[in-house]
Order: sequence, then C-alpha cells, then structure tokens
Amino acid sequence: MATYLFQAVLLPIVLSPVAYWLGKSLGVRSGWFTFGLMAYSTSLLLISASTGPSYSETYPWQPIGEFGLKADGLSLPFATTVAILSTVLAIYSMPYMKHRIEEEITTSSSSEREEQVKSGIGSYYMLYLLYTSGMIGTTLATNVIQFYLFFELMLIPSYFLIARFGYGDRNRISFMYFIWTHAGALLLLSGLLAIGFLAGPPGMPKFDMAAIATASIPFGLRVWVAAAIAIGLFVKLAAFGLHIWLPYAHAEAPTPISALLSPAMIGIGGYALIRFLLFVIPSAYLTTTFALSIWGVVTMIYGGLMALAQDDIKRLLAYSSISQMGYIIFGVSSAFYLGVSGSVFQYVSHGTGKAILFMVAGAIILQANGLRSISSMGGLVRKLPITATAAMIGFLTIMGTPPLNGFQAEWMLFSGSFAGAFQSGSNAKVIITAIALFSTAITAGYTLWTMKRIFFGSLPPELEGVKEASALVTIPLLFLAFLTVTLGVYPSLITERIIPMMKAAMGG
Amino acid sequence: MVNQLIPWLVWILPIAGALLTPGFARIHSKIRDYFAVGFSFASVLLAGSMLPSAFAGEINHFQLDWIPSLNIKAGVLADPLSIFMANVVGWVSFLIMVYSLGYMKEESGLTRYWFLMNFFIGNMQLIVLSDNFLQLFFGWEGVGFCSYALIGFWHTDELKYWVGTPGKVAWGVPQAYSPTHAGMKAFITTRIGDIAFLIGLLILFSFSGTFDFTSLATKTTWASNLASVGLFVPVALLIFGGAIGKSAQFPLHEWLPDAMAGPTSVSALIHAATMVKAGVFLVARVGPLFYAAAIAVQQIVPLFATIAWIGVFTAFLAATQAMVSKEVKKVLAYSTVSQIGYMMLGLGAAGLAVDFSSGYSASLFHLSSHAIFKAALFMGAGALIHATQTKYMHEMGGLRKSMKITFGAMLIAAASLSGIPPFSGFWSKDAILTSTLLASGYPLSGALFLLAVVTALITAFYSFRLIGMVFFGKKSENLENLEREGHHVHEAPAVMWIPYAILAAATIVIGIASPLFFEDKLRVTLGEFLESSFKIPFTQAVATTPALISAISSIIALSAGAGLGYYIYIARRIEPSVILQRSTLLTSVYRFFENRWYINSLYYKLFAYVTAAFSRILFSILEVGVIDRFNSVFADASVSFATLSDKFDLGIIDRLINGISKYGQKFSLVVRRIQTGIAQYYLLAMGVGVIALVVFMILVL
Repeated sequence: MATYLFQAVLLPIVLSPVAYWLGKSLGVRSGWFTFGLMAYSTSLLLISASTGPSYSETYPWQPIGEFGLKADGLSLPFATTVAILSTVLAIYSMPYMKHRIEEEITTSSSSEREEQVKSGIGSYYMLYLLYTSGMIGTTLATNVIQFYLFFELMLIPSYFLIARFGYGDRNRISFMYFIWTHAGALLLLSGLLAIGFLAGPPGMPKFDMAAIATASIPFGLRVWVAAAIAIGLFVKLAAFGLHIWLPYAHAEAPTPISALLSPAMIGIGGYALIRFLLFVIPSAYLTTTFALSIWGVVTMIYGGLMALAQDDIKRLLAYSSISQMGYIIFGVSSAFYLGVSGSVFQYVSHGTGKAILFMVAGAIILQANGLRSISSMGGLVRKLPITATAAMIGFLTIMGTPPLNGFQAEWMLFSGSFAGAFQSGSNAKVIITAIALFSTAITAGYTLWTMKRIFFGSLPPELEGVKEASALVTIPLLFLAFLTVTLGVYPSLITERIIPMMKAAMGG
Repeated sequence: MVNQLIPWLVWILPIAGALLTPGFARIHSKIRDYFAVGFSFASVLLAGSMLPSAFAGEINHFQLDWIPSLNIKAGVLADPLSIFMANVVGWVSFLIMVYSLGYMKEESGLTRYWFLMNFFIGNMQLIVLSDNFLQLFFGWEGVGFCSYALIGFWHTDELKYWVGTPGKVAWGVPQAYSPTHAGMKAFITTRIGDIAFLIGLLILFSFSGTFDFTSLATKTTWASNLASVGLFVPVALLIFGGAIGKSAQFPLHEWLPDAMAGPTSVSALIHAATMVKAGVFLVARVGPLFYAAAIAVQQIVPLFATIAWIGVFTAFLAATQAMVSKEVKKVLAYSTVSQIGYMMLGLGAAGLAVDFSSGYSASLFHLSSHAIFKAALFMGAGALIHATQTKYMHEMGGLRKSMKITFGAMLIAAASLSGIPPFSGFWSKDAILTSTLLASGYPLSGALFLLAVVTALITAFYSFRLIGMVFFGKKSENLENLEREGHHVHEAPAVMWIPYAILAAATIVIGIASPLFFEDKLRVTLGEFLESSFKIPFTQAVATTPALISAISSIIALSAGAGLGYYIYIARRIEPSVILQRSTLLTSVYRFFENRWYINSLYYKLFAYVTAAFSRILFSILEVGVIDRFNSVFADASVSFATLSDKFDLGIIDRLINGISKYGQKFSLVVRRIQTGIAQYYLLAMGVGVIALVVFMILVL
C-alpha cells in the first residue's frame, strides 16, 4: 500500500524539529526547507487525487479503531487548499518573519540580534509545520478521535504562534483565542464522544466515522449531538455571537499566520460541519438546516457591516472572514447538493482570495513601517503596482466577480439554496436566499471602498518613499492570483470531485 | 455556416491582446499601442466575415465541455442577432481604439489603458456571442469591471479630473465626484442590478436545470412550472433588473452621468456605444424567449408593459436633465440614458404588439444608429475638451470656424440625434414611435406614445442647445484667455477626427439606405430569425397608418424643439438667464432638473450614508458594547479559575472583586498565570470536558 497521505501529514510533524534546528543554524534561509516539505506534501495530495475519485489509507489503531486518511471529493479541496497556501506562505514568511522578529529585538549587539533572529525563525517554522499538518490531518481523518487530535494539533501551535510572534496585546489575545476555541473544541469533543459511545454496544464504542454513519442511534439523541457538534464548530467558524475572538486573533497574529488562520483554519469548521452533519450523522441534517440558514445570513450581513466600520486593515479583513464564513454556513444549510458543493468551493476561493488580501496587508506593513490604519493610506497603487493588482483580484474574488473563483462558489451556493428551498416548498427559504444575495452588495461596498482608500487618491507625503516588496512577497501573491483566475475559468478542477460526491450523498 | 473557430476568436482575440499588452509594453510603447489596436481590428474583421451567414439567417452554435457534472457547456451562438450586434460593437470599438491613439497620447498609465480597453472589447463580445446565461454573466461582470477601472483611470483623483461642479450641493449631498468615487458608484449601482439578475437566473436554473438559451427555447416546461408558483413574471423582471443596471435605466440610472469622470474615449466606447447597450442586448437576447413562454402562460402584459414604461419614463427623465447640464459630456450622458430608454420602450412595445418583430427590429436599429452617432458626438466632445481645456459648454463658444471638421461631424451626429430626416436617427426613432402605436391592444399605448413624442421634442432642443453653445455665438472668456496665453484653438489631429468623421458619414449612409432597403432588410432578417428560433409568427406586411402618424408627430416635435433651440442658442435672440429670471416656476423646474430630480441625493442618503452610519453604530453599540464584554466576562472567569487552581491567593481575589474598572491590571494577571500555567489549565479544561461527558453518558444510558 502506498503511504502518500501518511507521509503528507506525518512527515511535517516528524521533521518539525529539523526545521527548528535548521532555523537555529541557517536563519531565514531555512524557510526553503519548510517550503520544500510542504511542496512535497502538496504533491503527494495531488498524486493521491490523481488515483481516482476517492483514495484512502488505513492503519490499525487499537483499541480506538482505525487510523485512516481519506482524500475524497470533500476532504481533498480542503486539504489541498491548506497545503498550497502553507507552501506559498512558507516563502512569504521568510522576509516577513525576519522583519517581525527584528522589530521585537531590543539588544543592539549585532551577533546577539542574529542569534535571536535565528532562534525565532527556528521556533516559527517548527510551529508552522505542526500547525499546517494539524490542519491537513483534520480534513483527512476518518476516525473521530483522530479528528480531534489533529484538531488540537492545529489549535495549540497556532496559540503559540500568536503569543510569541503576534502584535499588540498578544498575550491577552492569544489567551482569549485559546479559551474560545477550546470551549468550542470541548463541545465538539463531547458531541464526538457521545456519538461514538452511542454507536456501539455498551462498553464498546465505535469511533470510525464510517461505522458511526451506519450505526442505529435514536433520532432524538442524534439531533442533540448534531447541535453540540454544530455549535462547537460555530466557534471555530466564528458564526455571529461566537465570533468575538476572531478579529483580535486574526488582526494581531503575524500576517502569514493570519493568512492561514483566516481563510484556511476557520473554514475547516465548515469542512467538519459538512462531514459530520452529512456523512457521519446524516439523518439529523435536515432538522438543522433552517436554523443554520438564518445563522448563516446573520453572520454574512453582520460581518460585512462590521468590516465597513473598520479602519485597521487586518481587522477589516478579519471581519470580512466572518462574513465569508456566513456564506459557507449558508451553503451548508441549503439541503441541496449544489449548495453544499458551493460551500466547499467557497472555502477554496475564500482561501485563495483572503490569503492574497492578508498578504497584501502584510506587504504594506512590511514596506510602510507597520502601517495598518487605512485612513493614513491612499494612492499606494503608484508605489505598489503589483501588490495593488493582487489586491484587486483578491477583493474581486471576495465580491464574487467572474472570472474569479469566488463567483463560481457564490452562484453554486446560492443556486443550491434556491433549489433546496423549492424542493422543500419553503417560501421563507426562498426569501432568505434572496436577502442573502442582496446582502452581497455590502461585500461589494466594503471591498471597493477599501481598495479606493488604500490604493487610490492622493499619496500622503510620508508614504512617498514606499517601494514594492521583494520577489519573495510578490511572486507568492501573483501565484495565488493566478490560481484564483484559473479556478474561476476552469472550475471543473474542483466541481468534478465535489459535485458527484454530494449528488450521491444527497440525491438530486 | 461559419468556421467554428471564428465566433470564439472574436471575443478571445481582444482578451489575448489585453493579456499580451504588458509584454508588448516592455518592448516599446509604440508596439504596445499598435498591437492593441491591431487585436481589436483582427477581432472585428472576423466578426465582419460572419455577416453573410447572418443575412442567410443561419444559426451557428458551437459548444465545449465546461462543468460536466452539472451538464453545463461553454458555447458560442452566432445567429443574426449576435452577428449584427458583434459588428456594431466591433466597428465602433475599433474606431475608438484608433481615436485613442491620438486622444490618450500625452497620458501615463497607458499599459493599463490598453489592457482594459481590449479586455473590455473581449468581454463585450463574450456577452454578445455567449450561448448561455452563465457565460454571458462572465462577460457581463467583465465589462462592469473594465467600466469601473476606466472611469477611475485617473486614480490620483486630482480636482481637474472630477465630474460635476465642486462645491455644488443638493439636499446636503455633494454633487461632484472624484474619478475613483464615480467608478465605485458605477460598479456598486450596476451590482444591485446584477444581483437581481443573478437571483432571477438562479431561480430559472432551479426550474430548468440549464443556462443554455437554445435549450430554454425548446424545452419550455420551466415557464409553466414557474408560472404555477407565481414566479414567472418576477423571475423575468429580476433578469431585466440586470439590464436596468447595466443600461442605466430608472431606478438604477444615477451612475452613468458621473461615469463621465473617465477619459472621453472611454465614455464613447463604454458609456455610449457598447456596454450600456448590453442591457438592451440582453433583453433582445432573452426577450423573445420570455415572449414565447409568456404567451403560453398568458403573462405578456405585466412583463412587457413594465419594460416599456421603464423605458419611456427613463427617456423622459434623462432628457429633462440633458436640457440643463452645463458639461458637454454630461449632456451626452443624459442623452444616452434617454435614448436607451427609447430602445427599451421599443422592446416593451414589441411584446405588446401583435407583430413582435417590428418593435424588436426598431429597437435594434435604434441601438446601432445611436451607437454610431453618439460615439461620434463623444469623440467630437473629446476633441473639444482637448482644444479648449474645459468641460463646460459655456466656456467654449464660437468654435465653428476654428474646428470645422469637428463642427461638421458633430452637427451631422446631433442632427441624427434630434431626428432630422434623412439622418439615421430619424428613421430609427420613428420606427420606435411606430412600434408604440402598434401596441394598440394595450390600453395605455397612447400614453407611451405621447411621452415618447414629448421626449423627442426635448431631445431636439438639447441637441441644438449643445451645438449652439459650443459652436455659435461669441468666443467665451476662457477661450480668449487661452488665446492671450498663446494657446490657439485648432482642429484635432487626423488620427482623432478621421474616426468620428467616418461615423458621421455612416450616419448619412445609413440614413439614405434606411428607407430604400436597410430598415426593411433588418426587419425581415430578424423577423425570420425570431420565427425560426422561437416560433414567433412574423408578418411581412407593414401597417402604413401608424407609420404616418408617428412620422408626422415626430416632425412636429422636432420642429418645436429644434426651433426653440435654434432661437435661443444659435440665433441667440434671447439670453437663457433672462427667461429664467422672468418666471419663478421655470427657475424651480430648472433647479429640479439640475439637481437630478433629487434622486441622486436621495440614494446617497438612503443607502450610502445610512449603511455607513448603521455599521458604525452597530459596531460601537453591539460589537464593542455587548459582544466584546463576553471576553471580559470570560477572562474574569478564567482568572478566577486559574487562581483557584493555583492555591487560592486571597490578594488576587480581592483585587478581582474590587477591580471591575481595572481591566488592564487583570489581564496582565491572566497573562502571568497563563505563561506559567497553560498546561495546567489545559488539562483542567480537558478534565472538565470529560467529566461532563461521563455525566451525560450516565444520564443517557
């Protein structure tokens, strides 16, 4: 049996101490090691994808069940997005983290400075590898305990990344992040354990997802478990009311980590929502959809309105992510295969789009002495033409404008929602979907307005000296922009995996 | 049949040209410019090569796989309608590209300019040639983006690039806008229409399972299914919403006048000749589809009467504002909105008449004749603005001697706009008026006709006003100052005037050809196309009485409007300000028109200002005031938690109780705890979770 996925997930974990050691001895250049490792993981994922619609590996893991890794139409878009983003951001991190660590150093002795940069870089890339493989592992897991372990593996390193390298009141913020996400995680864990115990005979719990899916569990209990899991995941997705940790954490995290946190990690909540509600405890799904759709729309609109009120560019992007998670929740609530597929696509396109935008914010921070206040910006397109082009593409994909992938996601998501509403004959759902679509105008509002405030108009004199960032920043940006266009024009790279799977699961 | 590749290349070539522009720019700026024009020329040659197929009434439909799991294909549909439109778009675009060589010569940022212009042409042709809604929507948003980026071309927003008169305020809302503001306004306003469009077509997709025009025309069960749940008319009108936004029809018309902040070549191409016609084209593309379906479900009147009324009302609304505008480009912009209103009226009337094809072909005829004369007027206006260094008409004056060619071309084009026979505009506008009369089954068709005739009067008036203010009378102070400084006003270079001279000549040629054969040939070709593709019956015979009534009415309206315009602005028998001084009623009407019927101000207050204020209030009251407090509560709780687990330190508890106002201190405490106790906390939290779970299990099992 091939071990593609096993390697893709575990190699970064096993080799993370090597990244630390390389960082300590080589300094910033050691980022290329992490890049190579993540590129290897990415290619393994793509190889496993090329074998067919669904590929899996299982390893015995008694007494819990099986340790399985499965790349099917649902997990693959998520895992690949995470892998590609973390590959690209490994490069971007080099100049950015060097700058970030140097900012914090107080000593003036150059040899000491160098030592501190090296050890900082070492810890950064070690945590980075643990964090990203935690994300990839979460999406590929086939066993709920295994899922939870990977889920924790992405939380803990990200806590340390914010606490060690973040901005502002980072100790308080990372703590807040930790508490909130753990509150959610524990609710999730209780749901997972409960369903595991319910699935087997007394004393013999079943934790393999496939086994749980076929087990007979009383309907009333399943709904409660589904609610616990959904609310636990809503913390991760930063749904309205459970979102307050996100603007702090995502704004103050070091920017490459924001670019992974914001689109990639929180969206995994969307993955888990689909996986558990539709594939692990499917019969409870339909009872949850109406509540989900309301919660989704409220999150969409609320996040967008909050984004309009921000002046800090990273906080603005963070609120925008909340709004975009609302889209994912809304798609999941559609009760139709196309809507759920749209949510998956939305994860991918928000992943590329928002990563671009955080990288743009980072490029401005790098090149303009840590400037984050939008009201102090203006006219930057003259100084940062490549960054501005990438930003435009990022904003347009968040807006859902063709030919970018955000449009493909959006039309599928909303089309599915309409179809689901007509199928169930729910007029309320038709109206909610129309409201949701009209609220996308808010997205257009804050994206275009932000673009204008940052890049157009007159250039403040103090920004006269700003120059375009190095190729280590701009090439990753352009690569992601290219990906965004490619998936927009040629969506079948994703749709041909996810749609057949969702059709088979949900009919239609 | 045409070669399969041709319709694809018509839209792909300009896009390829756009993508190659940065590369050519690296070689040499001249190479970049000429290649940009060259790509648009190659595209239009291919479009031209399809014309025989159109006149033969052929349908060329080619498809490729796109999203197989949804059975969605990409495709091109080159039928008489799209080939006709592709040629109108292509030729006007090409001439404006040539004009740009001269007009934009002194500007910087030209790589961006050529990129966006060609990208625009490609996307416009994509709209025209698409065989399905989804792909059409790509072009639809693509042109919207180009429009946004080109309106904001002068992104530095210096005051000289603003549109409107700075300092002017209506109802507390400023009436002058920077280019990037105007671009954003255009994008967001059209976006509202596009959202309606998207809602309509996604509901349509839910019922039909396809975006494909030909499948929608052949399998029409979707129409009866939609009608059975009462959604047929709403869906059709939502789709029409996209056309309203893109073609700047009431109530989404307010973006177009401010779009004049862009370079004049852009205004000519995008905001006069092509993109704003996309809405008309959309109605022409799917109108027959809905017409045929509407007959089956008996929903014709609510649908087509709405289209007709929106069209005629917009025509009137915008014409009144064109009458009082001071900026030459704004007169033309309002006039564009107004003339597109006529086209919508024609399409609406088509649905209300017995013979669908006459209103339909009238509307498309007016589309092409307007594209030609309005592009000529805009290009001429660009030459005027270059020469006189002002956008205001009262700062021009007496230019007929110094700019003879521009004068001649603009005079011909304005005559066509006014509807003077035998120029093309007379015939095409007349055809639309006739089609309104043909809608005799609709009880209010007389009102439609009357409003259209009144608009024709206003149109003639403002056309003569424009010509009079710019070319007649004395030279303005501005021009005299310029001459004193040594800038002598002179004719535009050949690369600029040749394109608009060609268009002016085309206006005459079409004007002469129309009564002879052109108009009839167009009607028959389109009528047969409608019959073969949509089974809409086509009658060859033309009713003569309505044609006569409309011709007489339009000549009366023309004489009245043009006479008044001539009297005031060309013969200059009376000062306009004197007329206003005499009557307070006239003054307030003037104010009302000048302030855009206050609709613009209303929109700013109702949407922009309210949303911004609401988001700020929501942020400070709900987000910061309530939700953020959870954090503090959370943090308080965890502080006590951490303290408890750390052997109960009374001092800390005391401070906790007393220190509700001392958040800062508390957080530093939290932090200290956490840095030493994270693992402890974590284990504890896990422990609590597991205990809760065990309790749960015991209760359940």
